[in-house]
Amino acid sequence: MKKRTLPRLYVVSNSPQRPYPENELPELAREITAHGAAIIQLREKHLSAKAFYELALRVRSRIEYTSSLLIVNERFDVALAAGADGTHFPEDSCPLDKARAAAPGMLAGKSIHSQRSALSAETEGADYLIAGPVFETPLKTQYGAPLGLEKFSEICRIVSIPVYAIGGITPSNTRQCLDRGAYGVAALSIFRTSESLANTLESFNNMLNQCT
Amino acid sequence: MLCCITADASCPVTQAEKALEGGAAMIQLRHKSASGSDLYCWALEIQKLCRTHNAIFIVNDRLDIALAVNADGVHLGQQDLPAEAARKLFGKSKIIGISVSSVAEAEEAVRTGCDYVGLGHIFPTPSKKKLGQPLGPNAITEISQRLPVPVIAIGGITGANVCEVIRAGATGIAVISAVAASADPAQAASELIQNMQSCLQKHR
Repeated sequence: MKKRTLPRLYVVSNSPQRPYPENELPELAREITAHGAAIIQLREKHLSAKAFYELALRVRSRIEYTSSLLIVNERFDVALAAGADGTHFPEDSCPLDKARAAAPGMLAGKSIHSQRSALSAETEGADYLIAGPVFETPLKTQYGAPLGLEKFSEICRIVSIPVYAIGGITPSNTRQCLDRGAYGVAALSIFRTSESLANTLESFNNMLNQCT
Repeated sequence: MLCCITADASCPVTQAEKALEGGAAMIQLRHKSASGSDLYCWALEIQKLCRTHNAIFIVNDRLDIALAVNADGVHLGQQDLPAEAARKLFGKSKIIGISVSSVAEAEEAVRTGCDYVGLGHIFPTPSKKKLGQPLGPNAITEISQRLPVPVIAIGGITGANVCEVIRAGATGIAVISAVAASADPAQAASELIQNMQSCLQKHR
């Protein structure tokens, strides 16, 4: 696992309704990567550790030797075993610094929903943050009201590590996020709507490349 | 030896404390729905308690938590991380246990380098919804004779049937509800251990 430049597009998988994520997700990951570098985070809470590990191996084999990175949600043991590039820690996960001590060299990111947790995540040694929800979203209502662009921009200002905006992100509001200090944007929806995947990816990548 | 596995119903740290008071030699932290942060905090506490009592501390499934707290071992089910992958990350000196329910699974577990197998379920059990019939004590004899590693029997073991299990060749037993759901868990653990010991003496 080598640290490389972080791609600006961050895609989170979440497919408990899909019958065969083990076949579908690796193919989607390959397609996403074909459109440009992305961070691909596997987040499949419904899978057993064994199935999750096997999925991570499959996805890795599809995006190896590209500029994309594979990140595993929470289970840094699975990330290490599968040779992923890193682990993403939810807010209620095992402390990032403890995980890092057990797995040095691993890329480690953290989800945060407030300025306070942003600062503590940076202190714990996070390499990047995912902050949100920035906008209204049907998927992440458990985190309460959206931060809004003002609070999001504050978070970007107080930390010195890359911050990805998440929650209701579309190609058309990507610019606003970047203007407020986002390093990149994160979306769960890409893995859900395969109909216009190519168009969506192209729009995202255009926006992200324009502004950087 | 007695291994107590924590039940989801109440605080795992309190459960471990009582089990260790009663003489448990191994505690396995098992909680299928807790957050990583809760698991980590419980694991730290139980690890400390186990060191004080000179007992072994094992984490179920979550090798990440076991690594973060430097636990003594990890217990892996058939749907968990493969043992070979776990061994690479965890090192040679750590304990890896694997749940098995057949000769084939037991032999595969040994091939992949486990230090013990958890064989079950031996009797009908209220703790886990299990498919299939209980294996019965004969399976312990059949499997323990073939394996170079200890067999820890699990599933429906109580003070009333523990002797059968030990006589059949189990090195130890693992229980959840027999201790955790008892009115006096420390007493329940201590009685199970006494039963095992008197059974061993009688059959020596």
